Formats: sequence, structure tokens, C-alpha cells
Amino acid sequence: MPKNAKKMTREEFLLEMDEILGLQPGTLHGEEKLDELQNWDSTVLVELIMLAETANDVEISPEQVVGCATVGDLLRLAGVTLKS
Amino acid sequence: MTSETKSQGAAILRDLHFPVSPEKVMRMRRALKRELLAQPNLLPMRIAILGGSTTTEVKSMLELFLLVQGFQPTFYESGYHCYAEDVQFENPALWSFKPDVVFIHTTWHNVLEFPELMDAEAAVEERLRREADRFESLWEKIHTQLGALIIQNNFDLPRLRPLGNSEAFEPSARVNFLMRLNAEFAAYAREHSHLLINDIHYLSAQTGLNAWHSHTYWYNFHMAVSPAATVTLARNVAAIVKSIYGRSKKCLVLDLDNTLWGGVIGDDGMQNLILGRDHPLGEAFLDFQRYVKDLQRRGVILAVCSKNDADNAREGFSHPDSILKLEDFSAFKANWSPKPENIREIASELNIGLDSMVFVDDNPAERALVANQIPEVETPELGSDVTRFAEILESEGYFEAHKVVQDDLNRSAYYNSNTQRSTFQTSFSDYGEFLASLEMTAEIAPFSPVYLERIAQLINKTNQFNLTTKRFASAEVEAIAQDRNFITLYGRLADRFGDNGLVSVLIGRVVNETLEIDLWLMSCRVLNREMELAMFDAVIEQCNARGIRKIVGTYIPSKKNNVVSDHYLKLGFAPGETSSESFSSFHYVVPNSEPARARFIHRTASASGATVEDASSPDAKPELAELALNNKPGCLIYR
Repeated sequence: MPKNAKKMTREEFLLEMDEILGLQPGTLHGEEKLDELQNWDSTVLVELIMLAETANDVEISPEQVVGCATVGDLLRLAGVTLKS
Repeated sequence: MTSETKSQGAAILRDLHFPVSPEKVMRMRRALKRELLAQPNLLPMRIAILGGSTTTEVKSMLELFLLVQGFQPTFYESGYHCYAEDVQFENPALWSFKPDVVFIHTTWHNVLEFPELMDAEAAVEERLRREADRFESLWEKIHTQLGALIIQNNFDLPRLRPLGNSEAFEPSARVNFLMRLNAEFAAYAREHSHLLINDIHYLSAQTGLNAWHSHTYWYNFHMAVSPAATVTLARNVAAIVKSIYGRSKKCLVLDLDNTLWGGVIGDDGMQNLILGRDHPLGEAFLDFQRYVKDLQRRGVILAVCSKNDADNAREGFSHPDSILKLEDFSAFKANWSPKPENIREIASELNIGLDSMVFVDDNPAERALVANQIPEVETPELGSDVTRFAEILESEGYFEAHKVVQDDLNRSAYYNSNTQRSTFQTSFSDYGEFLASLEMTAEIAPFSPVYLERIAQLINKTNQFNLTTKRFASAEVEAIAQDRNFITLYGRLADRFGDNGLVSVLIGRVVNETLEIDLWLMSCRVLNREMELAMFDAVIEQCNARGIRKIVGTYIPSKKNNVVSDHYLKLGFAPGETSSESFSSFHYVVPNSEPARARFIHRTASASGATVEDASSPDAKPELAELALNNKPGCLIYR
């Protein structure tokens, strides 16, 4: 990702997660527990890793994702802090 | 949809064309899919992905790039690593899915019989044979029982080489074994039209093995190809599918100055053009010309569209180092008119659709003008660096050819001879005299194995003179050719100027004493030459030979086939009773005898030499009568 490329905001990341999980846009806010989310499986895991890597040029491992308890943990791991 | 929304949509879709950023495509996939699904006239197709590893990402990316190519895919996805079991044990879900295409996504990880280190050549050969046979049995079963075309990955190379460079030649080494296995796959593909190779050996080399494979995604998710490289792989598979369905482009329209040679011929003169091996840039232009020439040799039509005086423009091809010559081009527009106007004229002269053309120009302003005014023409963002022109053209897969048939090789010659026909015609005031003077001969016969590839090609790419626009994959065409419940006819047409090749196809289904024409098409090369009359004469003779008393024809309107909306009425059919908004039906009572309608076409016998009259004679050999009545390929039909 180029140095001056726009990083994904928190809201954008949450909307992408809504879509990956097949949820209505605006469902996720950050405090949800990951293991209570519907449609959470290895396919979603792959897509979330790719989302983090492509959104903010952050390399994260599946173990790190599995270690997250909430959506907020995932946002922090992916380096998503900006609000729109 | 507002114009702002449309332009946002167009901007998003540009990400799917060169230069493709895999990361951006992965990130934007949902937005891209939404935009692509909104395209009109998507062609439904059914594709089964049989995986030797995790295929979720493959399916996701393949869906995007099939949508880009104008298809709306429905997928079947095998269970993890179940590519062989699904076929061997005839998984009911796969069997009932009835795919049009089966994509087998295997990689080097799926080889079961790698040799043991220092195995003797004989032992290696046995393992090679077993491995190849294993795949061949899958392909045969898919072909014979599912009737689907197969796209099969060949083998990429592993990242590691325990034997170092000797892996390239040591028989028991994996690298050498994989290369030999790839050669086996290639040999099979050469002999069997139902198998197409997705060349991941090439793609992985192009991508770089370290980028092609990902330890993270392999060990955690058993994805054999990294997510970014999966974008490249999916794009390649979609290009193959596009070519199967006859949607590859036909014509490359080229600018001249700083596109085919360095410099501006009008200012610099021919002798000062940068072209040739004594200059780095000149050598690059030479290599691009060589690439374009190779495209032309295998059937891509070339045209020039240049802002230049015509004489100056032509002179450029007299440069001693020019690989391209004037006669390589089937249309030549060098003037000061706007390029969109010239391109439309080229399309009209060549009688091809604008959507079958690719325009190449180093000038971004000219590209933007054409892209804006004729969006149907593909206008890749070529840039101005000639060293990249060919790879940019290739990356888009515009001219993907899964099979090169003889008619492709003759295509330029046809278009050039057509110019002679058009010029010749102007010397006649009576059209009938003109047709008579062409001295046309037609070969019209049931489908023959030697022509099946060309027949399938025509079926899948002919749009204008096409009564129903039904598409059939090669395997279906082959099955129909052997089915006694169908009457099939192909037509070749030649004249004093040259051979037009195979130009017409008809498929009719026999239902009791009625022939229902499912498909009737003709290349627009031979419009207004009475070829459709000659085909109809042949249909009547077939009907009489088989006791068929009625012919039902259907016209299904499309965006492009209005030219044939009254085709059946012109032949004397009566309107049928079962027409609706989406189709019109017509019927014709077959008379016992009818004079030939084609007055200016002499029909020649096919290879076997007998006539229907000979076959129905009391003295006819039984096998000849059987051939004539059962519509077997090679049956000679008419005098």
C-alpha cells in the first residue's frame, strides 16, 4: 500500500465486517463478542485477515485473530483507529 | 441511475482492468460485484469448481472476473480436497448440478506419486503414467457423463528444490517430474478438445513463486495459491471461459506513430523512424510489431487508425526493418478525421461489431476520446512505454484462443479478398450478374468431426444472422452431431476470389414428421450471396429423404439479430400459432419436390461422394442408404 494511501476508517471497517458476516449494514459497533457472531467460520477468518492487510497494510496472523475476543480487539489489531 | 452513480460505477470497474491491483480487488470485491451484477444481458452459466485445496477465495474471485466477461455464474464447489472423489463416486450434488464447465483447481500439492529420490527412470516413468492416468480417468468421466468442458490447472512448481539445480534434469526430482507431468497434460489437451489447460506453471513463474505461494495461507487455511495470486489465476480462468463462449475480440486497431514505430512519420520521414535493432527503443518497437504479427497470423484482424496523410502512413511499412507490412492490415484509415469516426467505418467495412475491437494508441487523449465516444471498443490504458504494450494487451486476455482452427489462420486472407469482391462488384449494374460471376461453390453436409471446432466457434460468436442465438459448448455440438434425432448441416462457401471457409450452421430436432430448427446462423461475411437459400435447399432435401413433412422455425429477437426477423417469411414460411413477445414461430409444409432456390451457388459433394439420389436408388449399397438417411458425418448430400 502506498505511504500516502488512505487508511480505512473504523466505520468503513465495521461496514466491511457486516458484509463479510452477511449482516445488515450498521449491525456491528465494536463491542460484540466474536464467538457470538453468526456465520463466524474459517472462511470469514480468511476474509478478515485479508481485509486488515489490504485496508491498512497490516500483517496479522490467524493466531492473532483467534486471540481477539471482541470486534473492538479486531479493530485494534488491524490498526483501525480513525473515525470518519 | 444518476450519471454520478454511473460514473462512480465505471470508476470502480476500472479496477478490474490493467493495471489490476489484487489488493484493491480483494478489498473492493463486494462493491465490484454489485456494479457488475447491474450489467444488462449477463449470460447465465454453470461452473463446478473441484478443488484439491481450499477454494473459497478462488470461487469469490472467479465470480468477479466471470461477471467482468459478461457471464452470470452459478457455482458448485466440491468439499475440501474432494476433486477426485466427487467425480469417481459421482457425487449426486455435482451430477444434478449439470455444469457447463468444470474447473479442476489442483496444484503441485495434489501429486500423489512423486518419485523417491534416485528412483530409476523406469520407476519414474511408471509413477508418471499412473499420475497422468489418474487425471485422465477423471476427465473422461466428466466428458462422457457430464458433457462439460474441463479447465484443468497444470502444475506450478514448489518453492523448494532439495536437489538444487539438478531438479531440472534429475528424473527422480520433483521439478523435473512436474514438468514431465505438464507435458502429459499438454499432450492430452492437444488431442482432446474437451480439456483446456489453465497454465498456472506460466502464471506462477510470471507472479514469482514467493508471491504465488503463501506459507501463512497454506498452513492455516490450506489455500494452495496466495490470495493476491488467486486474483491472477481467476482472471486467467475467466479469459479461458470467455474464449470458449466465442467472446474473444476479433480485431486490433492500431495507431502508428510511437505505437508501431518511434517517431512521427509525417515529420521525421521513413528513414528517421526509430525501428530496428540498432537502437534500444527501435528494438522494442520491433518486438511489439512481432507480437502484433503473431496475433495476425493466428487470426486476429489488424486495422490501422492514424492521424496522418495516407501516403506518409503507408510509407512507414516500407521501412526495411518493419515486420508488419501493408498487406497484414485488413483496413487502413490514415486521415485527419476523428478516430472514433474512423473506427466506426472500420467496423462497418469489416462487418464486425464495435464490441469485438481493441484500440491501441500511445496518445492518452486519443484513447480517452475513443473510450468516451465508443465505449464498446476496448481501449486499454497503454501508457507510452512501448516495452509494456504487448504485456498490457496480454494481461487483458482480449484475444484468448483456447483452440486455433484453420479458419482463424485464413481470416486475414478472407478480409483482404473481400476487398477485392467489393471492388469487383462495383463493375456490375445487375446484382444477379455479379453473383453469377463470383462462381460460388458451396459444400453443405452434416456436421463432420474435422469441422466441429469451427462449428462450435461460429455457434458461440455469431450474433447478427442468428435466428435463436442459442449457444452450445463443443461437447454438446459433438453429441448432437452423433444423435440421429437431429439434422445438422454446415456450409462452406468459396468463390473466384477465395475461400470464405465454414460460414453457416443449422441444427434441427426431428420430432415425428416435423423438423424444429433450433439453430440457424450464418457469418455476415456472406450475407446477400444466397447462402441461406442453398442451406434451405439442403434442409428440404434432408426432410424429403427422411419423410419429414413440416418445418418449424423460431426467431428469438436479440439486440443484434434484427436483420433476420423476417428470414422465415422471406423463405415462404407462414406465421405460427405459438408466437409471443419473446419469440416468433413459423411453419413450412415440405413439398415432395421443389426447385432449388439458390440460383448462383453450385453445391459440391462432400468427401464421401454419393448423392441422396444414389442412396435412395434400388441399386444403392445398404450402407450408403443407411449413411444418407441417418445423417452420419461424412455423408455426401447433394449434387
